[in-house]
Amino acid sequence: MNIMTLQRYKNEIILLLSILFALFAFIYKLSATTYVKENQLHIQDQINEVTTVVSLKKQWGDKKITNKVKALKTIVPASKIKSFQKKSKKLIASYSGLTANELNKVNNKLINIPVQIILLNISQSAKNQYTMEFTCKW
Amino acid sequence: MDKSNNKLFIHSDMEPVTLEHSVEIILTPQFYTFIRENLDVKFSYQAKQIAASLFDDYLNTMIDYQYHVNKCDGEWCFFAYNIDEIDYFLESKGIEKHRVSKIYFAQQLDKELTKPVQLSAKNALQTIDGTVTIIPTRLLEPDTVFQTFDLEDAKLSSGITMGASLNSFISLKETILLSSLFFILGAVSITEGSRIKSSIGSENEKLTQLFNDHKSYRNSSARKNILNTYQKIDNDEHAKRQSIKEISKLLSAKSQLLALKIEKNKISATIKTSDTGISKQVSRNAKAKDFKSFSNGLDVKVEKQL
Repeated sequence: MNIMTLQRYKNEIILLLSILFALFAFIYKLSATTYVKENQLHIQDQINEVTTVVSLKKQWGDKKITNKVKALKTIVPASKIKSFQKKSKKLIASYSGLTANELNKVNNKLINIPVQIILLNISQSAKNQYTMEFTCKW
Repeated sequence: MDKSNNKLFIHSDMEPVTLEHSVEIILTPQFYTFIRENLDVKFSYQAKQIAASLFDDYLNTMIDYQYHVNKCDGEWCFFAYNIDEIDYFLESKGIEKHRVSKIYFAQQLDKELTKPVQLSAKNALQTIDGTVTIIPTRLLEPDTVFQTFDLEDAKLSSGITMGASLNSFISLKETILLSSLFFILGAVSITEGSRIKSSIGSENEKLTQLFNDHKSYRNSSARKNILNTYQKIDNDEHAKRQSIKEISKLLSAKSQLLALKIEKNKISATIKTSDTGISKQVSRNAKAKDFKSFSNGLDVKVEKQL
């Protein structure tokens, strides 16, 4: 292709180049959209996963749970605690003669500590008198 | 032709030439038709649009002509020429197309050609009534003195290129319009694409920050292990605590808890009520919370699988 031909088709060449530019730019836009669609979902999933893991680990793997569990021993008079055995990361406790209010206090405290309740047994021993046993671990 | 000469008159009697450099050619009237018009148009592209119609009565409609327009002394000068004819003639005289850098029209030298210039033994070039014309030398006075005209000194403007004279499928106006449109479309697409790409920048930064704060969670399988362990605990314990709260809500001044038990994946409670109406109400409320309920007199037993 010599210079003459280039000059003859100058308009067509300019137009072709501008069409090619628009086409490549459009392809770039499409690829950017696809890239974002694919990666945004992936990144968002990863963020959610990490956030969930951090939150779960903080809640259920908290090293201060052992101290928090000790509060279950002091929340009611010692005379009402039949047994309180804490071994490693497991607690077996038994209460008797609890009033409805005391039962509520122990129960609320228990469910607000992030421990796994393995066993819970509450029964009325007399009017407004309850016994409570539970086993939990963390 | 002098090898250093850059400009050359093109006329039918010219001798063949040998070129080693590019040349600007000046067409004599033998190769173009000229019309001067006083038109009320502002731009040359507007004048060029009507050029073809101006030459309607002068040109052979079977031949494809090109047109050139330029402003001359407040009027519009229109030139019609056939580039194929010129091209053919130039080839026959040994002038290759790529050697022609510009094409001018002798009319553009009307001021300089007030005195005749001898082109060949037969023809001379002179401006008559403002129009540059080929005059047979035999018609001139015998004592006519031809001027020696140095083309290198000729000040020419508004030349055309060989390529531009050849017909394009698309006009310059359309080219500018369409190219601008495609260029704008392209620019918009690139801007949009860049904006879209940068839109996940903040999320990327957030993830990088999270990974920096918790390096051990960079590994996907480590995260999955922790999730498998703690997600089940979280779900199970949440269900247990939620069920305890729901059972608490079943109690009122006219009902009291007799027993509550959580064992393995089951929670059950026995509630003593003061009358059958309360008993039914407790059962109804328990069912609304997805508990199974069993009535035994005034005692209601509710249970649910966790």
